[in-house]
Amino acid sequence: MTPALLTAGPLALDASFWVLQGLNALQLSMLLFLLSVGLTVIFGLMHFVNLAHGSLYAMGAYVAASAAGLMGYWAGVLLAPLAVAAFGVLLYWGLIRRMRRSGPMAQVLVTFGLIFVMLDLTRIVWGDLALAAPMPELLSGRLTILGLEYPIYRLVIIVLGGLIYGGLYWVLSRTQIGAMIRAGVDNDAMASCLGINVEQLFFLVFCVGCALAGLAGAVAAPLLSVTPEMGLSILIPTLIVIVIGGLGSLKGAIAGSLIFGFVQTFGAVLAPQLASVLIYALLAAVLVIKPVGLFPARG
Amino acid sequence: MFRHTPFRYATLALLAALAVLYTLNAEYFGLELVAEIAVLAILVLALDMVAGFGGMVSLCHGALMGIGAYAYALLTTAGGLTAPVGMLGAIAITAAFAWVIGAICSRSHGIYFIMATLAMGQMAYSYVFEAPIFGGDDGLSGISRLDLSLIGLDLNDGRSFAFFCLVMLGLAYGFSALVLSSGLGRSLSGVMHSEQRMRALGACVWRVKADMFGVSGGIAGLAGVLAAQHVMFVSPGLLAWTVSGEALVVVILGGLGTLVGPLVGAVAFIMLKHEISDMTSYWHLVVGLILIAVVMSGANGIFGWIESQVERWRPRRAAMTDEEIRKREVLSDA
Repeated sequence: MTPALLTAGPLALDASFWVLQGLNALQLSMLLFLLSVGLTVIFGLMHFVNLAHGSLYAMGAYVAASAAGLMGYWAGVLLAPLAVAAFGVLLYWGLIRRMRRSGPMAQVLVTFGLIFVMLDLTRIVWGDLALAAPMPELLSGRLTILGLEYPIYRLVIIVLGGLIYGGLYWVLSRTQIGAMIRAGVDNDAMASCLGINVEQLFFLVFCVGCALAGLAGAVAAPLLSVTPEMGLSILIPTLIVIVIGGLGSLKGAIAGSLIFGFVQTFGAVLAPQLASVLIYALLAAVLVIKPVGLFPARG
Repeated sequence: MFRHTPFRYATLALLAALAVLYTLNAEYFGLELVAEIAVLAILVLALDMVAGFGGMVSLCHGALMGIGAYAYALLTTAGGLTAPVGMLGAIAITAAFAWVIGAICSRSHGIYFIMATLAMGQMAYSYVFEAPIFGGDDGLSGISRLDLSLIGLDLNDGRSFAFFCLVMLGLAYGFSALVLSSGLGRSLSGVMHSEQRMRALGACVWRVKADMFGVSGGIAGLAGVLAAQHVMFVSPGLLAWTVSGEALVVVILGGLGTLVGPLVGAVAFIMLKHEISDMTSYWHLVVGLILIAVVMSGANGIFGWIESQVERWRPRRAAMTDEEIRKREVLSDA
């Protein structure tokens, strides 16, 4: 079920090969979207930079893998977001609320310290060895569409990402709480003057962001091996996504995720030597041309 | 703006005396430690120059150090140059890279600057990892140390090399202090306080930032050259972003924008790392907790805190308030 298995040989450069690559890119994008959306909205609403977001993802993967071993896959997927959100509540009361008024650099440093702490905490609780998470029977097969075989599990991730994007889009643009969040992102001082409890709103958004990070970890666990370093290795792609997309906006998170997923996947096929440099070059280009990203929340 | 106070001179003298005494009496492991501290100290000096005095919090200084190390390795092995020429060449190459990075990133501020430099550093890391001439994952070996037999020193001896690193650190410190009190350093302080005002005064803001980033990169390149000579081997791990992150942690632990503080931070960090690794394999946990505690306490690192306590006892408080204002501005601008 590794990406290498899904890549046909270089000779098979026909339409189905490109469709496969497109699906791979979509799947990577959706996973990144689940992570980046929480981070970007937390930043947009409260200008809080949480570098430990990747560690929350790793924690979700660990909780899911352990719970799956005891109670089955579905319990793991349900439990991971809840556990990570509960941990988020602790973090909020312990650290983040106190760091709200300090500058971004202090926040970067505190959450950088948090990465270290959480890295070793996962090593203490779960050990250094990689954990393998089981894939559910129901989703472990392959689906044949239009003569193309594709693993069901990866399709499910794509659909899940799409559903969550749709749900968040609906909440943010059509509901009252969404309007309040948008008002808070736009101008938090004015929003609180209008009687919106921005602090409470931030707490809510922070918990949802943590839960989404936990969910991302849980769905990624069967695809990757679960290691303490997984949070650190996903952090950089997530940051690239939100900086390309523009901090604070849902549109930016989805656009950034799609750009990253497609550049990474197709770059690896078309220009293997440049693949890893390509995405950083793109990020640098975006920052030079449009220093605030493609779709920033505030003009 | 940077200035030497009597307390800073006293700290420097104390550090120098301790370093010399320790190096004279240390065994093999202790000498390795001295070289390691000196390399880290040079790197964090470079970082403090731009982060503490220009508000440019860079996450690519690890990569710059790596560029210096690789440049030295390639110039002296494949390039066939002698060690002194290789050292100067590597420093010049790193400074040039840093100048370009500084010029490109000069328009970004705050968190965007951090991200932009991170992107630049990661780009260098991935390129070094992939390109065949850099040896990929295996790195490059067969690097030789500087030959000082003319003045009767053999740098392959641990004690001589440790002293050599300390001398280099002293030179780097002197050079940084000189640059920071020069016109360039003063312009940079002005830019950190208000870019608009400096522009109105006729300064070319991006040039000031790029020039200082270039100088800082050259110093980071020196750290890289020494790191390459120390272990006689370079690997892509030198360029990883976590190295830059650690350097930033050391600057913060020591005291941002004090130039002396980061030296204290480097000593404390390496000592702590070795002491804790002896006791437990979870030294990241301890360092993380210390970092969180230091940042949340609101003090400007170990040295910054002691300095503010000392200044409180002094009748003349002008220097301290100046420091306080600057520190607050760094934290809010960055």
